[in-house]
Amino acid sequence: MTERRFEGIGVTPLSGVGNVVWYAPDADLDDPPDPSEVDADAETARFEEARDAAREELERERERTAERVGEDEAAVFDAHVQFLDDPQITDGVEEQIAEGLPAEHAVQRTFDRFVEQFEGMEGRMAERADDLRDVRDRLVRVLSGGERVNLAELEKGSVVFAERLTPSDTAQLDPERVAGFVTVTGGRTSHAAIFARSLALPAVVGVGEELNEVEDGAEVVVDGTDGEVIVDPAEETRKAAAEEEEAEIRSEPVATADGVEIEVAGNVGTAADLGPAADRGADGIGLFRTEFLFLDRQSPPDEEEQYETYVDALETFSDGRVVVRTLDVGGDKPIDYLDLPDEENPFLGERGIRRSLGPDSDLFETQLRALLRAAASDAGGDLAVMLPLVSTVEEVTAARERLELFADDLEREGIDYALPEFGVMVETPAAAFMAEDLTSQVDFFSIGTNDLAQYVMAAERGNERVAELGDYTQPAVLRAIRATVEAAEGTDVWVGMCGEMAGDPDLTELLLGLGLDELSMSAVTVPQVKQAVTETDTGDARKLAEKALSAGTKDEVRRVLTENTKS
Amino acid sequence: MPERVVTVVPEDGLHARPASVFVETANEYDSEVKVGPEDGDLVNAASMLSVTGLGVSGGEKVRISAEGEDAEEALDALEEVLSTPEDEL
Repeated sequence: MTERRFEGIGVTPLSGVGNVVWYAPDADLDDPPDPSEVDADAETARFEEARDAAREELERERERTAERVGEDEAAVFDAHVQFLDDPQITDGVEEQIAEGLPAEHAVQRTFDRFVEQFEGMEGRMAERADDLRDVRDRLVRVLSGGERVNLAELEKGSVVFAERLTPSDTAQLDPERVAGFVTVTGGRTSHAAIFARSLALPAVVGVGEELNEVEDGAEVVVDGTDGEVIVDPAEETRKAAAEEEEAEIRSEPVATADGVEIEVAGNVGTAADLGPAADRGADGIGLFRTEFLFLDRQSPPDEEEQYETYVDALETFSDGRVVVRTLDVGGDKPIDYLDLPDEENPFLGERGIRRSLGPDSDLFETQLRALLRAAASDAGGDLAVMLPLVSTVEEVTAARERLELFADDLEREGIDYALPEFGVMVETPAAAFMAEDLTSQVDFFSIGTNDLAQYVMAAERGNERVAELGDYTQPAVLRAIRATVEAAEGTDVWVGMCGEMAGDPDLTELLLGLGLDELSMSAVTVPQVKQAVTETDTGDARKLAEKALSAGTKDEVRRVLTENTKS
Repeated sequence: MPERVVTVVPEDGLHARPASVFVETANEYDSEVKVGPEDGDLVNAASMLSVTGLGVSGGEKVRISAEGEDAEEALDALEEVLSTPEDEL
């Protein structure tokens, strides 16, 4: 049998293998009976009972989602309850019943009117149509006595195929059983996609109508990285995907085969990512981007709010380390209440530490005070502060002086504080060149590979025309990484890496060979990287790194890596 | 009837979570509360359908009115919801 490939939008960098289970929850209603046969009072009572039952279901699902995914994702169920209890819905259904329709038909008709109305609107409004359909289907199911197709109890290794998945559907998916899901409709920001990322499920959405050709039970590979769905996969395709899937979740720190402990941490963008990072076995947080605290609001967060956020993170990783990156905005990341300049080359402009030491020095002070206080909390985890976009020694000295100055202020004010670990992100070629001089100023380096590749190669990230250049396996990027690690050798400075490169398990051996002590990545790939660490021998890794470093082209680097995997 | 005009702070306007909190708050008071465009027709503020159906975006002004014994308290509470950024709700 030949492989059939379908293209969609990959929403998680994970692959899964399993068998197709088509999920079609909407049962069509039979034609309504003659109005004279309908007892309006009885139907109204049935509707009210169904509404109570549906409300209970929603409350249970809300609770489960809040526990498993997060409070933000659970909030969607509040809106569902409100639609359920909406006076316009209640009045509408009662009117239809009075006209002689049974409860389920009355529900269907009433909701459909509003679904249509919302469908015609733009953006966020169209999402409300999805919510309404979800509530409608739930009520109709309860009324017609139908059991819900139990997504939570599918056979292990099922890949759910559906026209679309509602928030209620996705909330039921159990990552222990479901190998992934694929939908006909949907985009990267759909509810289903967000759930997939939070639950670390391989998923492809928006494949289109041709997905309907795929038969129930067919074997399928879901490639959430490339957005591909491969039906009847060839043995090789299947094996490659299955191997990736096998990584178990290790909640304890791991070591290489020859016993070198390597910290494998998670990158987080919002506080809601903390739980999933811990669930995937991250030892700590290697990159806590604090931008989210500042975005989408009218004024910056105050010291107290920041303090609480940092303490939450430390509590989540009470045995680990949490590396907080100070505010990294400028140019490409607009924030209304900051007066960010209009720049011709925002990536080369006033961003990161440049703003913190300049126009945003007030924000920097508030953030450092909150961090100094959080470091003294009894939350358990170790706090580390990291400066973004460093390019000179003076910047680091200046930032360090401020940290100490604010510590003195707190001392005078009689407020508890502790000096956190202090480090810089190595993401400019200047920082890599100056790494040796920086070692006396810092406790650690963390190499930010996305930006490092962009600046070393002078190839803008996100610009597809130069994506080939911006690749982190370019020999120039590898040499910049090596230069940074070399500078730290023989000192107490530890070197980590955060960014896409650290999360690529095919590169783990190479990175350990280059001498990295810590790797930090999006939570989803933590288990694969931990697995790769345990399979690495540092002696072999060093040899591999030497070969890669002597390569003169990216193709040669790739060849070195491929040959190594084969042998 | 007491009423006031408020600028909607949550960036996404009266959708999803902000709308949900708004409707929930309206339901907590005995007064009959309505909401709508600054110079247009008002709808029932206790109805999620009506409120999200308005299609109000962040930065827009809305008029809220309340009739009943706790009208002022209801308006205070709703004004507070509308003036709070989404991530603080």
